[in-house]
Amino acid sequence: MQMTQITNSKELLSTALQSRIIPNQEFLLQGSILDSAVDHLIHRLRGLCDTVDASPEQFHDLEVCLSLRQPTQTAPLMLRVRRALDRDSPFQLRYIGQPELDRSRPTLVRSSIDVGCTSTILDFLTELGCRLDFEYVSRGYIFRKGRMKITVSKIKAVPGKQQEIGSETVSQSYLVELSVLAPNGQDSIGDEMRIFAEQLKPLVQLEKIDYKRLGGLP
Amino acid sequence: MGVTVLLPYQIPEGKTGAQAIDYLTKRLLALGAIHTGQFLVDCETYISTPQHGPAKTVHVLHDSEYPASTFSILDNGAGKQIPLVADNLFDLLMLKMTSVYTSKKQTKIESKGARFEYGDFLIKLGSVTMMENFKGILIEIEYRPCVVLSYCWEMIRETLQGFLGMPIAKEYPAYFSQQIMNTMGQQQIHTKQNEVYEPIDTINQYLESFTNYRKQNVLPVAGGATGGASSAQNAAANMQGGNQRMR
Repeated sequence: MQMTQITNSKELLSTALQSRIIPNQEFLLQGSILDSAVDHLIHRLRGLCDTVDASPEQFHDLEVCLSLRQPTQTAPLMLRVRRALDRDSPFQLRYIGQPELDRSRPTLVRSSIDVGCTSTILDFLTELGCRLDFEYVSRGYIFRKGRMKITVSKIKAVPGKQQEIGSETVSQSYLVELSVLAPNGQDSIGDEMRIFAEQLKPLVQLEKIDYKRLGGLP
Repeated sequence: MGVTVLLPYQIPEGKTGAQAIDYLTKRLLALGAIHTGQFLVDCETYISTPQHGPAKTVHVLHDSEYPASTFSILDNGAGKQIPLVADNLFDLLMLKMTSVYTSKKQTKIESKGARFEYGDFLIKLGSVTMMENFKGILIEIEYRPCVVLSYCWEMIRETLQGFLGMPIAKEYPAYFSQQIMNTMGQQQIHTKQNEVYEPIDTINQYLESFTNYRKQNVLPVAGGATGGASSAQNAAANMQGGNQRMR
């Protein structure tokens, strides 16, 4: 530690925000691929992404979606808690804002705050007043290309507590997501992502998905 | 990471806070402790709005010893406290909840001061200020090679007696003699002093002390000014600067 005067955490945070080093925006493209063709996609991604030699990294997560009703605002605050089922790692708390579907932008952009935290988080949020909306298990592969993250995963329903977690699949496809978490003002990443998405065609068509048009979701 | 004991220091009669800090600093340096910079522990408390059911309290604390973390303790108003350790971006999330949880700005409190290394010990002399008012002195002492208090309390106690020049009770500090509840809410047979120590324990001790300082509420303004003296006023001035920048 240095001998200099120590700064207040609030001050540090505002400095970090001003100098745009906090990754608080998510750029996202989504698509899907049938189970029968997923091997081709994995093969393609292994060729295109970093660490070509290693076998693709796998993940198996439980994602719990909660919301906090806010009296003064119409939209509730949406929070997600992600927990790895296959390894012992910190829980992840995510805030995801309303998506901006600006036509001029190549990807969906939404504000996002990712926070690693202790396993007390679910209890904490429940006592805070959050309500459980839904939960699911996602299992699949993760690839990296520079700062882009590509996941190919199977979404499964969380079965009754007595059953083994993650045995009921929701569909006959894999969800494919291409995302980057970046600080404000780095819009050029969108073009980078679009170019990468082009390279995955025609196996998978990555698009901006407007959830509101799908219905059923707030 | 070791075991930390937090001790409110009784300022001797007739001395100001700054004089007491000065006195302790001299004694530490004379023992051979090395001054290794500053430290800061701050605490802000958020309370849920009445529309949101029974009042709940979230205490958010930061400790410069763990600069990447934000510590939160949620008090549900029914005797249940849930601790949470998160990345420091958690502060941004708290800002998103302002319509449900509002900050009680007037109770923002911090302990700030010099940090010393003395062999295996880490000693911090903190002046506690709330709203620019000097509240008292908190001494933090950490014995770093060990993580269970019952194994090293005697050593910590001896060191404390050495540099404070006053006797310290043989019993474990109150925080460590509480019974541990397990997840089922049952009391376990052993107490905190035999548990593996974690950073959240330091935070809990600070919160306990801060809560006590908050309770002994509105000191006369004159007392705050004379007691505060230079270091506390500096701290207060810095705090104010920080707030202005935030706005």
